[in-house]
Amino acid sequence: MFDTLGDYRWTADLLVSNWVMAETGHAPGPHLNSETGDSGGGFDKLRLRFPEAPPADLQREDISTELLLNRRKDDSRPKLKIDVPWYGGGMSFGSVSVYTMMAKARVAKAWNTFSCTGEGGYPPRLVPYAKHIITQVATGLFGVREETIQRAPIVEFKYAQGAKPGLGGHLLGDKNTPAVAAMREAVQGFPLFSPFPFHSVYSVEDHRKHLDWIAHVNPNALLSAKVSTPVDVDMVAVGSYCAGAHIAHLDGSYGGTGAAPNVAKKNIAMPIEYAINRVHQFLVDEGIREQMTLIASGGVRTPMDIAKAIALGADGCVVGTAELVALGCIRCGNCESGRGCARGIATTDTELMDLMTTQWCTQRLVNLYSAWREMLVDILYRLGLDSVAALRGRTDLLTHLDYESNAAS
Amino acid sequence: MTKRRTHNQAFPTARAEALIRANACFRPDGELPLRPREAEGGCGVTGFACTIPVSGRHIYEPSIQMRNRGNGKGGGIAACGLVPEDLGVSRKVLQEDYLLQVALLDPGARGEVERKYLEPFFEIDQGGMIPTVDDYRDIELLEIKPPDVARYFVRVKPDVLQRFAEDKGLTALSERDVADEFIYQNSLRLNQEFYASLGEQRAFVVSHGRNLLIVKIVGFAEAAVQYYRMQDMRAHVWIAHQRYPTKGRVWHPGGAHPFIGLNEALVHNGDFANYHSVSEYLAQRNRFPQFLTDTEVSVQLFDLWDRIYRYPLEYSIEAMAPTTELDFDQLPQEKQRIYRQLQATHMHGSPDGPWFFIIARSLANSGEFQLIGITDTAMLRPQVFALQEGEVSIGLICSEKQAIDATLASLASEDKRFTPIADHYWNARGGSHTDGGAFVLTVSPNNGSGEYVMRVTDKFGRPVATPPGQVHADLSVAVRSEARTEEDSDDLKDAAERGDAGALFAKVRDSLVEWDYDRLRWFVDELADQTADAAPALGIDALTLCLDRRYPTGDKKRSSVLTILRGGLERIFERQPRLSQGGAGALRRITWDTRETLRGPDDGETTLLIDARGFSPEGENCDAALAVKAYHLGWQRLVHYNVRGTRFHAVGFGPDTAGLRIDCYDNPGDYLGSGIDGLECYVHGNAQDQLCQIAKSGKLVVYGDVGQTFLYGAKGGEVYVLGNAAGRPLINAVGRPKVVINGTALDFLAESFMAGDPHNGGGFAILNGVQFDADGNVVPLELPYPGSNLLSLASGGCIFVRDPHHSLVEEQLNGGVYRRLTTADWKLILPFLQENERLFGIQVERDLLTVEGELQPPEHVYRKVVPLAHATETDGAGE
Repeated sequence: MFDTLGDYRWTADLLVSNWVMAETGHAPGPHLNSETGDSGGGFDKLRLRFPEAPPADLQREDISTELLLNRRKDDSRPKLKIDVPWYGGGMSFGSVSVYTMMAKARVAKAWNTFSCTGEGGYPPRLVPYAKHIITQVATGLFGVREETIQRAPIVEFKYAQGAKPGLGGHLLGDKNTPAVAAMREAVQGFPLFSPFPFHSVYSVEDHRKHLDWIAHVNPNALLSAKVSTPVDVDMVAVGSYCAGAHIAHLDGSYGGTGAAPNVAKKNIAMPIEYAINRVHQFLVDEGIREQMTLIASGGVRTPMDIAKAIALGADGCVVGTAELVALGCIRCGNCESGRGCARGIATTDTELMDLMTTQWCTQRLVNLYSAWREMLVDILYRLGLDSVAALRGRTDLLTHLDYESNAAS
Repeated sequence: MTKRRTHNQAFPTARAEALIRANACFRPDGELPLRPREAEGGCGVTGFACTIPVSGRHIYEPSIQMRNRGNGKGGGIAACGLVPEDLGVSRKVLQEDYLLQVALLDPGARGEVERKYLEPFFEIDQGGMIPTVDDYRDIELLEIKPPDVARYFVRVKPDVLQRFAEDKGLTALSERDVADEFIYQNSLRLNQEFYASLGEQRAFVVSHGRNLLIVKIVGFAEAAVQYYRMQDMRAHVWIAHQRYPTKGRVWHPGGAHPFIGLNEALVHNGDFANYHSVSEYLAQRNRFPQFLTDTEVSVQLFDLWDRIYRYPLEYSIEAMAPTTELDFDQLPQEKQRIYRQLQATHMHGSPDGPWFFIIARSLANSGEFQLIGITDTAMLRPQVFALQEGEVSIGLICSEKQAIDATLASLASEDKRFTPIADHYWNARGGSHTDGGAFVLTVSPNNGSGEYVMRVTDKFGRPVATPPGQVHADLSVAVRSEARTEEDSDDLKDAAERGDAGALFAKVRDSLVEWDYDRLRWFVDELADQTADAAPALGIDALTLCLDRRYPTGDKKRSSVLTILRGGLERIFERQPRLSQGGAGALRRITWDTRETLRGPDDGETTLLIDARGFSPEGENCDAALAVKAYHLGWQRLVHYNVRGTRFHAVGFGPDTAGLRIDCYDNPGDYLGSGIDGLECYVHGNAQDQLCQIAKSGKLVVYGDVGQTFLYGAKGGEVYVLGNAAGRPLINAVGRPKVVINGTALDFLAESFMAGDPHNGGGFAILNGVQFDADGNVVPLELPYPGSNLLSLASGGCIFVRDPHHSLVEEQLNGGVYRRLTTADWKLILPFLQENERLFGIQVERDLLTVEGELQPPEHVYRKVVPLAHATETDGAGE
């Protein structure tokens, strides 16, 4: 039945599992593999090691899934916490429709977490949800204004994106619709490029000056540095800490993008599962691990992926594709063209986007989050841990299939 | 036809080969490292060279200014051209001996170090530990105890030299050459045993050149000066470095800069992408890293080209930062030939990545000292050069201008021969045919008089000098009473009574050549006194006009004129009542000490003067943050003065700020005006980097130059710059910015501009390519734009450039085309040029449309660059 649905990373089972969750708010039954894909690498080669039985006195209700985002000592900013250890990734207005953005905002509010504007500006319709919206300052500085910074509880500096590391952003011309052009103050129909670096940041002290600037505009916002995973990603994370960032957000190469030409969507940069642990260890060695929140993203599909990322050393995750799948995305991979999205998700074409309503989208995401939390609590329960925080860095609870078979013999 | 190789021609090659071979013993086992152990990243660098030796305390100010560029994890200073008395040695010893400094991470290692690496080889003319403060914790911000440093003045024993020369095949070299090489190798061995090998790091050589020393610590650079009690130690050349390493906790001073070659110390801002390639290149010449940082290999390269290859400085600079592309094509043939060979040989040793080097060099044989600043070919790091010439001369190089001015202020406060403002500020154009991206400041003995002179040149040896025949003012001497004349007094009184700031300015402008300093000082003081209470706005406006505009100053240095004018403004500012005091008048003043008294304006109060002294550079205690609070309390006119590098002025006011006016005097820091949406901001002097990022609307006027990435991501705004922009102005800008740059830009002007159709609500920039000469005349620059990537890859917007001789060429474009100026174009830009005239005195007809004495129609003077997609046939090619 599912011969043509899915691919190695998002298998048919994973897609359908996601849809079941988005429809019902619960995990699917055992007839579907809702935990791992078939990519032959990454999270699919990792397995959690569950003990025989969890401690008798551990109750599911007592398990905490909250995530503290501001861990810096001597920091006057609010100690923001989210109720689940993930938040929605940046998807710009232009790469996706305003309905998609609205739904992400509303689920963030419902679940006391965040979503992110991406690099296309801050649509006015999102303003009522401002307390749950991260504003992104990316290398093209599209849509960045003092008011978009001032109303944001978190500002995300997007230095790079794992799906296209070193390549900057590229919104193809036919996605630069009149609405998008107006938001970004550019001319419709032309491709919009974001440069690969911030042109004002060519050295790590420039990074600090950059964060200083945003901190001056909004002294209460937390600062997140979103980077891809180059060879020296550990240095980058420490540099971000020294620059004043609260969150180091590593975006790996398994991620997606709705704003890049096909040729850019290849595998480059360090796989996220290596990067997470490397950065985690480095921050521990530097004595600053407890002052930084480490977030991982790029191909995080299921609560099991989240659990693995946390066991590797992340505090939490950012999700992207998984939310779009919940809205009906079938991963056809035509996101970059203006009228390519068969589901009306990754488009601002006025005809296509009306394939969905904000209300429907919101409910789908709410259900997904509900199912995810349930599944994550279940994982923690089976591991005998009473919180997400207790799972962090527990690589002893992980096994890698390649090495497991060696160990067994 | 083969050239006959004489001994003289063959010797340099043989000499270089012998020296390279002599280092073969240092090849380590195993692979060379792929990347540096410590990622360098960022920091701030500074240096100055002076014709008189100055004390170490003056390196504080720029170091403190640049603290935000460091994180206290590593800092260091180097000094060269020292004073023998300060070190307790004779002049001969200072000149002849090697000043060997060994950091003892393990104090117990001293005996072993001396036994193994000093006593057997050197005559030690003096040795001891550098004195330090008793408790390092007494020094602010110093968290880790710096290492003890042993200092020795040594000469190599003749028999040791002899043996060394024989063993290493260096007998054909001069004694000094052999000694240099011996010292170099001895330090390598010492480091090898006590530092670089596996095991505990116990000691390392910090410096070993002649008349040059380095200290470096885990801490801020100024803490090094304090800890090692160098505040009163004097030198002609100082360099300092504030480090921001990304590996923080387990740290050691060995990785800090400056690094030593032989007789040069180098500090570095930036980092490379090709460390491995450079290491391989050096390995082929038997040079192997010990400290595994980018900076170490940089100075190794310099020492290699200078001491081993004996290149003229120009060639070393070319090898370091090769001239390429359009700039290469502009070089004379002979240079192209030589440079091509240099590049072919050394390309893999050329560091690739954002970098800016400052080198302090002791030319011990000639008794000269040099300070060199070299920038990479893409100019990705900020750099400013400055020069003050007079009874004493000083040249300064720095990552940021306010650090230069802070140094001068520090010097001027002690010695009246220095003034707080330099005579000339400029940037280098990396890898260019114009200045080669490097400037060299050489301090030389003046014919045995015991005094020194300084010469400043670019990479090609072309001199940089201030206008001749001008002298500084001596402001420590009181103004003579005869300075007051009836004429001046009457003119002043008339204009003041009429409330005519323009007339007051005109009086100064038209009299200045004739006036001596005393008459100027009298006039300014009198103007200040007459207006401070009765009409302060008039006095401020008049003196500000005098500060902003350009006019001939006769035999008076402009820097002194500015200092005098600024003093007059200070007199007026200081007489305005503070917020808690009562008083008539519309102006009020607030200071750091009285910041708690901030309140909204009462009836009749319009303007808040903010004295920036004492405020933090950034954060909740910066003067820019106070300004935002003041605005929200109702103030609509804000003036920042005594600004010494504090940052973020005109930032953070939020949307819809039309009606607000902000004036900035002195040295405002970076990001000024970013995000403005309606307000007007006037900068009465040079501005820094990252101005007006994402500016949305409003007005900015800069009476000077601006730095890097001006208007990056801007959405709008009306902007006027009297001078130049540095690299990447208007990059990625959208919407409708309308910008006039009267000078030029270094490179990448308006790359990725997306500002639509200028005739239909879009944006544009006008580049005039002119400057004021010393006589206050507007004259064209050699080139309106020396860079390339002009309007590169843009999808909208337009650049109107004043280019009557069509000197701009196709090769400077990338996806844009030249077109003729149309009538509609002129109609569009004329109002902006008229406002430009009103602001700066650069007249449309007299200065812009007149070419070689003749008034021309606009289409013969201006061309435009448009994106290819927008070019129409009807415009005609701009040929």
